[in-house]
Amino acid sequence: MTRGVILFAFNSHKYNYYEMAKHAASRAKHFLNLPVTLVTDEDSMPAGEYEHWDKVVKINPDKNNVRDWGQWINKGRYLAYDLSPYEETILIDADYVINSDKLLKTFDIYDDFCCHDSVRFFMRQGNFPEPLSSNSYDDILWATVITFRKTQRAKQIFECLEMIQKNYEHYEQIHGFLNAGFRNDYALTLALRIVNGHTDNPRDFIPWNLMHVGTNTTIYPNNEGEFNTEYTIIFDNWQKLKIKKEYNVIKDMDFHLINKDLYARIIDNG
Amino acid sequence: MDTKTLITEAKARFAHNSAKDYLKEKYDAKLLVAEQGGLWKADQETISFLTVMINDYDDRVVIMDTFQNPVLVDRSGLLTKLKDVYNSVMAEWYNEWTDLESKR
Repeated sequence: MTRGVILFAFNSHKYNYYEMAKHAASRAKHFLNLPVTLVTDEDSMPAGEYEHWDKVVKINPDKNNVRDWGQWINKGRYLAYDLSPYEETILIDADYVINSDKLLKTFDIYDDFCCHDSVRFFMRQGNFPEPLSSNSYDDILWATVITFRKTQRAKQIFECLEMIQKNYEHYEQIHGFLNAGFRNDYALTLALRIVNGHTDNPRDFIPWNLMHVGTNTTIYPNNEGEFNTEYTIIFDNWQKLKIKKEYNVIKDMDFHLINKDLYARIIDNG
Repeated sequence: MDTKTLITEAKARFAHNSAKDYLKEKYDAKLLVAEQGGLWKADQETISFLTVMINDYDDRVVIMDTFQNPVLVDRSGLLTKLKDVYNSVMAEWYNEWTDLESKR
């Protein structure tokens, strides 16, 4: 059974997703000991960089997703099923920072597809479910980490993702998503529920929380070197119109960076 | 700037409860074990249940896994595995917790 990681990276005017993906790939190889495939485009990948990847697939991405802060080239994730050369694949966002071998456990616990259904933010108490829309009781699923096996059902989920992406305006009007513009999290939430007949299958959900480094939070690597796993997190805790700065130290824990500006600090350390 | 200087200059205080939460988050996941067709948490409750269900005539038992599916398991095999995981993970958790307590 072949296993590997697949990453999508398309640079925008604001962020260098290729560099993020390269960093994520080296950590995936180090901590998970898995080969890594990159899906990118001609504009994002500099010349002479093939040595960093086990396989590179270049596509022409759909660049038609503009947010208030700029262009976000995040469409086409449904291609992961066809483009992955592996029988079992972990699809991760380029801004997911691997610090442990925890993701390998997803291969042991799933049927053929799993993703996160719950998140937490470092330094903040409680869970923060995000509703799909203002008129929905459903919380969103997270496309940040997806593990899948090549089966008929997994194929259907990715085909459904494609259908939703291609008819996104229709789904947006029906559901009244809380955020404008295409989001893979929304498309995944709908696709998985459609394929599951609008029921939840607990085995489709990774049984631990996706950890976010959220807003008002900064993160600093504690050690130099490419494979540092210890970080100090500083949180601006607003109380009665004053900021109380709080900190914590984490180690060997994977996390997702909501604020992409923080990624430069982590890459520069490597 | 090193991290200690950074914390001092920011006048940040150590968030003890948040650190405790983070440890629980980290080690709860490590306690999960996929074994004998089910997903288990190597916690006190599961280990206690497997221990008391000893039966001289049949060492198999049906137990609900973390997905709430009933699974027929080899009791002593699963118990041994969960105890091993519990001991190693909890030792790690305890050590990190002790470090954390010293920051009070």
